[in-house]
Amino acid sequence: MFKKLIDNAAAKSPWLYHINAGSCNGCDIELVAVLTPRYDAERLGFKLAGTPRHADIVVVSGPVTVQSKDRVLRTIEQVPDPKVIVTLGSCPRSCNVFKGSYSVAGPLDKYVPIDVSIAGCAPKPEAIIDGLALAAKILKEKREAKK
Amino acid sequence: MEMAIMDIVKYAVYILIFPGALFTCVFGLWLAGVDRKVVARMQKRKGPPIMQPTWDFLKLCGKEVIVPANAARGVYMAAPYIGLASLIVTVLFIPIGGFQAFGSAGDTVVILYLMTIPTLAMIFGGSASGSPYAGVGASRTMVSIMSYELPLILVLLAVGRAAAPEGYYFTFSLAQIDVMQQLAGSFLFDWRLIPAAVAMLLVIPCEVGQHPFDVGEAETEICEGPLAEYSGAPLAAFKLSHAIKMFVMTALFCALFLGGVTTGMVWLDVVLTLVFCTVVTLVCMTLLHAVSARFRVEQLFKFFWTVVSGFALVSLLLVWFC
Repeated sequence: MFKKLIDNAAAKSPWLYHINAGSCNGCDIELVAVLTPRYDAERLGFKLAGTPRHADIVVVSGPVTVQSKDRVLRTIEQVPDPKVIVTLGSCPRSCNVFKGSYSVAGPLDKYVPIDVSIAGCAPKPEAIIDGLALAAKILKEKREAKK
Repeated sequence: MEMAIMDIVKYAVYILIFPGALFTCVFGLWLAGVDRKVVARMQKRKGPPIMQPTWDFLKLCGKEVIVPANAARGVYMAAPYIGLASLIVTVLFIPIGGFQAFGSAGDTVVILYLMTIPTLAMIFGGSASGSPYAGVGASRTMVSIMSYELPLILVLLAVGRAAAPEGYYFTFSLAQIDVMQQLAGSFLFDWRLIPAAVAMLLVIPCEVGQHPFDVGEAETEICEGPLAEYSGAPLAAFKLSHAIKMFVMTALFCALFLGGVTTGMVWLDVVLTLVFCTVVTLVCMTLLHAVSARFRVEQLFKFFWTVVSGFALVSLLLVWFC
């Protein structure tokens, strides 16, 4: 009985941790817009967590620069299981216009498995909410799969 | 023999169900949910459902528990549960609508001691986690505990003086305070005690760690301070303690200032007190949270030792001499 309650709760209270991996700040601003009164992601239980230890969903934006690569991976390792990794915008998935640059170590899926990708440069807040809702669903599935 | 068994069953119900563990957890989480919802409505947001703190708690119970390599494992794991347990014990000493599970001649003193344990548990747990954020948070929490303890003691003395029976200087029994209010009317409407009530309303959010006074757990500055390294079930225990503290402190306010309201039926009195608790939460925590920014550490200390302590002291002097 408790397991089922906790499984259900996993989808209802996803806390976000946002990592900027060399992003231009465009996606970051859109993510903040999702939490403003206009879109109010808190109605779905989303909350920005201060530390990776409290997070369920890791949101990565930016093309993963050489400087930020180790920090991003180290931060993701600190998140307790079950966790979901979401990429925000085109950069972490394809490096976007920075592809081929000497200072870029991405895309992110070279290093960690990605659960949800939100497309766009920058994505609209509606798209971000859609992606995060999907991430919350995956969180529940991961929790159910764990024995 | 039969009496002994009946007593054991009675106290087990008091401790585990009402007003102990189960009831305080459920009502505390509900109160925290109402708080979040109303803050959201005040900011023109739709806000999370009232059940949100409950979902947060359940989810945290199902997360992996990580103990940092440089943490002192024993203290780190024990601190949240010790804090939670002492809060539940505190509830047993507070009369809810005249219903008090364990009364004694020194209720307020016992409560004063028990209420410091959760905060100390947070300081110890944070210090044991080995994170610099938690270290800063622990030192800030120490400042906030020093800030609110003085006015809280003054408020308890003022009320204790006002409720003292003939021939005594003070009473420390909440039952006696309730009896006095049945005779003389609620202390909230006693002009001498209004400054103390205001001081208590400002002490509550600081004790709970709500927004304008949450220097120790500032999310945006130091990643929730002492909680920075916690994850999973211990974090859930801390979040639950936070919710229960809301209930304990508002119930204490009701016992001190809104007692003596009796309808003749115990269950109706209890319900009435819970409604009062919700109203006090909305007034002193939700409203302040929605409209104010955070104090700096030294501002908090100064504010509580001058303005709030001043209010409480004025009340104590008025009660003593008028």
